[in-house]
Amino acid sequence: MVVEKAAASPPVPVGERRPQKQEPLGRKKKIRQQVTDGFTVKALMKNSVVRGPPLAGAFKERPTKPTAFRKFYERGDFPIALEHDTKGNKIAWKVEIEKLDYHYYLPLFFDGLCEMTFPCEFFARQGIHDMLEHGGNKILPVIPQLIIPIKNALSLRNRQVLCITLKVLQHLVVSADMVGEALVPYYRQILPVLNIFKNMNVNSGDGIDYSQQKRENIGDLIQETLEAFERYGGETAYINIKYMIPTYQSCILN
Amino acid sequence: MAKADLKPKSIRHAKNWSDEVENLYRFQQAGYRDEFEYKQVKQVDTVECWPETGFVKKLQRRDNTYYYYNKQRECEDKEVHKVKVYVY
Repeated sequence: MVVEKAAASPPVPVGERRPQKQEPLGRKKKIRQQVTDGFTVKALMKNSVVRGPPLAGAFKERPTKPTAFRKFYERGDFPIALEHDTKGNKIAWKVEIEKLDYHYYLPLFFDGLCEMTFPCEFFARQGIHDMLEHGGNKILPVIPQLIIPIKNALSLRNRQVLCITLKVLQHLVVSADMVGEALVPYYRQILPVLNIFKNMNVNSGDGIDYSQQKRENIGDLIQETLEAFERYGGETAYINIKYMIPTYQSCILN
Repeated sequence: MAKADLKPKSIRHAKNWSDEVENLYRFQQAGYRDEFEYKQVKQVDTVECWPETGFVKKLQRRDNTYYYYNKQRECEDKEVHKVKVYVY
């Protein structure tokens, strides 16, 4: 059907009219689609395709900030020195660990968990290990001050930092009596990031996953850590873990 | 004469790991021959050990820094042959 517009151009004589282009029968007219964002007026049009939601970035690594550990290390406030031995590196302590003020030093070392470069990362890791190994009953009063550094380290979402922090958490709950139970009120601050990475396992079929041997498979490490929390966390540990990580299954009750 | 004042007569390398080899490894990492030299140099009667395993826990080096050792075995099999056993 041809629609003539009113008051358009003057009528053309019949002999000078050009024939109209007509589509062959059976061929449909192509509708050009446009990509739009959702919840807009444009999205309601017939030829618009709605773009999916943007990525939330749950797994995206966050940038590191300068830590207090690095500042104190560069100032020389830590009583530690680096020694090279046949196995690699070792820490030599200038002061006996038993005489250190745990309230001051242990949170600083935990702050160094965010570090990823040598030697800060090594000192933080090895220093925490030594202090937890020889701390005894000095560790329990310091637990509340360790939560923020642990939370900061986990929130970086860096694979290497995650692995180290999980191993440190496992060591922490076994380092002294009642430490596991003291951590229970802080599960709501520590466990959300573990919930995100809990299913990060490599499906390699029948291949060998060497990250499991080297204890760098994050999914397995998280499972081990949660089991350690449940074992040493007392009676209320399981229900608190289940509240934060609904897919966790108990390793004791069943 | 006290055994601590004696110098060793012979030296051999360890072939297999044992508790003694583990402790010798820890002393030699800290820069001493063995427990006798450590007690002689540092003038102490006892060495701090882990009660569960009996391995050396803490040693003071000659520069007065402290080495702390793990409760479990630290000397790997590939390091065993480097451990020197002194015979008095």
